[in-house]
Amino acid sequence: MDAEGLRVDRAEALRYLGYEGQDMDADLERRFDEAVAACERDLRARCVHAVFPVDPVRSDADRVTLAGCGLVLEGRDIARHLDGACEAALMACTLGAESERALRLRAATSPTDALLYDAAASALVEAAADAEEARIVSDAAARGLRANFRFSPGFGDLPLAVQPAFLAALDAPRRIGLSVTSANLLVPAKSVTAVVGLFAGEPPAGSARSTCASCGLAESCPLRSQGRTCHG
Amino acid sequence: MDETLDFANDVPASGHAGAAGDPSTPALRACAQDDKEFAASRSCAQNGSLFGGMPDPLAGLRIADEHLERVLRGRDFLVQDGAMGTLLQERGLTAHGELPDLLNFSDPDAIADIHAGYVRAGAEMITTNTFSANAHKLEGRATVADVYRAAAANARAAGARYVAGGLGPVGVLLEPLGTLSFEDAYEVFAEQVRAVVDAGCDIVLIETMTDLREAKAAVLAAKDCSDLPIFASMTFGEDGRTFLGTSPAVAAATLSALGAHVVGVNCSLGPAELEPVAHELLRFARCPVVVRPNAGLPHIVDGRTHYDVEPAEFAAVMARIVDAGASVVGGCCGTTPAFTRELAALVAGRAPAPRELPRAFAVTSAQEAVVLEAGSADVACVGERINPTGKPKLKAALRAGDYDYLVGEAVAQQEAGARVLDVNVGLPELDEPVVLAAAVERLQATVTAPLQVDSSDPAAVEAAVRGYAGKPLVNSVNGKRENLDAVLPIVKRYGCAVVGLTLDEGGIPPTAEGRLAVAERIVAAAEARGIPRCDVAIDCLVMAAATNQDEAREILRAVSLVKERLGVRTVLGVSNVSFGLPQRGLMNATFLAAALGAGLDLPILNPLSDRYRDTLAAWQVLNGSDRGAAAYVERYADAPDPYAAGALAAAGVATGPQDAAPSPAPAAPADAIPIPAALADAIDEVRAMERLILTGRKGPMAAATERLLEGHDALAVIDGVFIPVLDVVGARFERGEFFLPQLMASAEAVKAGFDVVRAHVGEGAAADDGKAIVLATVQGDIHDIGKNIVKMLLENYGYRVVDLGRDVAPERVVDVVREQGIRLVGLSALMTTTVKAMERTIELLHEQAPGVSVFVGGAVLTPEYAEQIGADYYGKNAAEAARIAERFFAAHPAI
Repeated sequence: MDAEGLRVDRAEALRYLGYEGQDMDADLERRFDEAVAACERDLRARCVHAVFPVDPVRSDADRVTLAGCGLVLEGRDIARHLDGACEAALMACTLGAESERALRLRAATSPTDALLYDAAASALVEAAADAEEARIVSDAAARGLRANFRFSPGFGDLPLAVQPAFLAALDAPRRIGLSVTSANLLVPAKSVTAVVGLFAGEPPAGSARSTCASCGLAESCPLRSQGRTCHG
Repeated sequence: MDETLDFANDVPASGHAGAAGDPSTPALRACAQDDKEFAASRSCAQNGSLFGGMPDPLAGLRIADEHLERVLRGRDFLVQDGAMGTLLQERGLTAHGELPDLLNFSDPDAIADIHAGYVRAGAEMITTNTFSANAHKLEGRATVADVYRAAAANARAAGARYVAGGLGPVGVLLEPLGTLSFEDAYEVFAEQVRAVVDAGCDIVLIETMTDLREAKAAVLAAKDCSDLPIFASMTFGEDGRTFLGTSPAVAAATLSALGAHVVGVNCSLGPAELEPVAHELLRFARCPVVVRPNAGLPHIVDGRTHYDVEPAEFAAVMARIVDAGASVVGGCCGTTPAFTRELAALVAGRAPAPRELPRAFAVTSAQEAVVLEAGSADVACVGERINPTGKPKLKAALRAGDYDYLVGEAVAQQEAGARVLDVNVGLPELDEPVVLAAAVERLQATVTAPLQVDSSDPAAVEAAVRGYAGKPLVNSVNGKRENLDAVLPIVKRYGCAVVGLTLDEGGIPPTAEGRLAVAERIVAAAEARGIPRCDVAIDCLVMAAATNQDEAREILRAVSLVKERLGVRTVLGVSNVSFGLPQRGLMNATFLAAALGAGLDLPILNPLSDRYRDTLAAWQVLNGSDRGAAAYVERYADAPDPYAAGALAAAGVATGPQDAAPSPAPAAPADAIPIPAALADAIDEVRAMERLILTGRKGPMAAATERLLEGHDALAVIDGVFIPVLDVVGARFERGEFFLPQLMASAEAVKAGFDVVRAHVGEGAAADDGKAIVLATVQGDIHDIGKNIVKMLLENYGYRVVDLGRDVAPERVVDVVREQGIRLVGLSALMTTTVKAMERTIELLHEQAPGVSVFVGGAVLTPEYAEQIGADYYGKNAAEAARIAERFFAAHPAI
């Protein structure tokens, strides 16, 4: 499924850049505008999601196993996220190889433009993930299910090592051109994978939005240092 | 099936003297052409080599039988099978984490039974169940040779008429997106192709490719390691391109030139969505086209994939695709024998519709095709600026291995309208094959214009074109026998286009007729090696009007003659004409206009020259390509006439809006730098430069630096302005008054100033006083933005930075440190998972390069964490890194 007409949330992109209301010169503002415009003009998001039943027999407080694809999501945080869920929606979004090429080009010609473009593209892929998550929520609602929110590999104690199997379960390399390196990093880098829990009734409190206060990675969280959180 | 067919006996009646006389017989006939003389030689290309011209493209191939041979000539249809995975899933044979390829051993009967279903439905060709049977995906669970042997046996057991040994993508991304090198990909495929041959298959089938470079590696491996026909297909998305941005036109032009015998599309989408893809493939493929759609679009329900197109609907669309000219048909994901039955019925008793072969000149990158149709008025400028001759900055960049500089030149030319970029790195002290290949690799990762690989060294040309994702233009071959024999085999092997220079053992003929004669020999030699003339562009060689005045008209006449008589595109290095004369731009533009009038298609020039752009813009009105003069009017309606009174004088001082000096000077900021004594006579200039740096305006910095250098010492400018202002920038960043992009923009402005200082002081001033720093993003990590920021800032402070890039192995860091005697290393890692690689790198450095200090940075690091993994310093940001370097080199002066 393609997400078109996505817009960069400029405030969010600026936050990634560490912007805290500094006086921005007109020239820099123009360059930021150009980066945002280039992302919105040249990049398209490719997204895919699929819903799998939670296998209650092979799930416990430390892991969740999904039926139909055999994917095992390890960790207490994901177990809490999917506690009580009847199904889990896996999702993946990517801005594609063009985002990588555009970044390499700017890195070679102007590191400042590369930095601005990187932030704009990050905001754009988040927008794509928001849109895909919204589709999951509305599809679930149509089936009488309630959804919680997206939780990504690398957040909390859900290891990045799950990425290869995660992508395989979605057939993501073939369907949206999203791959993973031997170090389990997504390529193209401007990509998001995540899990959304689907519930027959109200999602239990345990799977409601977590906070940094309860997270074991809070001290070294790369998202926090960029002014972002994984819990929206 | 081991018999090699004798094509000489298969030449149809039309192959006789009047080869163009009966164009209806061969389905794949050369396009009807006004000039019968050349239509004859092109027809021969399809029919055999009885009359000179092109050799039979199927010569030397091992072809199973006459029907398959007719398929490869586009005269018969071929029905391929459909999906394997879909049927495995239906039978419940797919287990997660298990490769379906291993079922060839564990459940051979089931695999043979699925194949047999397709055979019964009318599939003539069965593809082995080997989509993942490469060394990377098998991971030692079975040998590649064993899988193909078992898979081919299963296909034979099912009664397949032809067995195609299937190869899918490696499963690891190739550089530059991923980490697999072109040569490693080639080796993976070569092992598979040898297994295909050993298993007794009839065809090498390369499918579902999304990366043109990977497809090229596979086709090359198939050519090198087998004598079987090669089918190659790619998979395209809803935007009509592969995930890596390759269009059907680029895929067809590149892969058919490379030597695939059938090219096309498989997988991707349903037949309706693939109809436009098929049309584009048919327009650009020089061989039969295969179309194997999915049964519509996939939907995953409860972990199972379903497709939404029924067999009859599938066949109805395929009927149109077949009518358009596709002659090899089959299905991909979601299709079953029911689909195959429909396809077999569709083509039964029919012969493919005759197709016209493309005869346009085409060069490609992975993302773009530059196509000059025969007889069209289109002109494609070739940017000449990536050539060190007379360019000291480019020379210095090449010597330093600074390919970013080349990318900058490439981008500027592409933005100015260059459609092809010449790449020449010929400097006596450089290892040209290595540097040219590296330059091409770097450029193809960043810019989209096809490249013209420019070297007189065939080894350098080969090194550069081999891994190029596309169909490059080789510049050049000439009419000397030895040169033809050295260059043309490379052009043919790698499916390139080539520039032919009209010179031979006797030098450059002074007359148009003499140049034509050399061009004829080049075209004939190319065709004799199987390079069609549409892939040859002739350069009639521009001589300086100052020394060879009478030749100017002969050159123009030669362009017309070559084009008219040989039907090829023409190239000229335009600016050569003005050597030794004043006002070279005037001379060049005038010659360009005359050459365009004579029929020049590919002017090699500096696209940044306004004069050239003016001439081209005007010419495009005159030759009809700028319809309604729309572009011309938009560009010039409000532009001043440069010859009108006063305009020239005004132009002398005119600057772009970006370059205008900031007007009314605001008061100096509170943290203004003190005016150094050496610059006491230039307070306004210093303050202006200070503002430029603080506001991050790199555009005007060059001119400002030039002005300040007049009458002032370079060191005074660096130590008196650049460094103090950078310190102010760093302090503002630390206080939170600047955010990161402001720090960066200021650093870039200073870098622009430094470039001017370096040019001013001369090339020799690049010594580093022992203050060199290695930077790397550690192994496994691909986030390099932070490292790049640190790099720029350190360079601004005058350090020589050796940037090893990202995903760098610990051993590589150690090697470079030892080779270059480096004492300070900066490492970055963004992920918690890759900090381990950072720790290993530090450990190895401390063990094998004692005395080397390491500073680290990255989002997940803290001072405590940095200490824990053995780092000597922790830099929480780029400004901090610059201070660390300063402290380090102050405490550790060079010995």
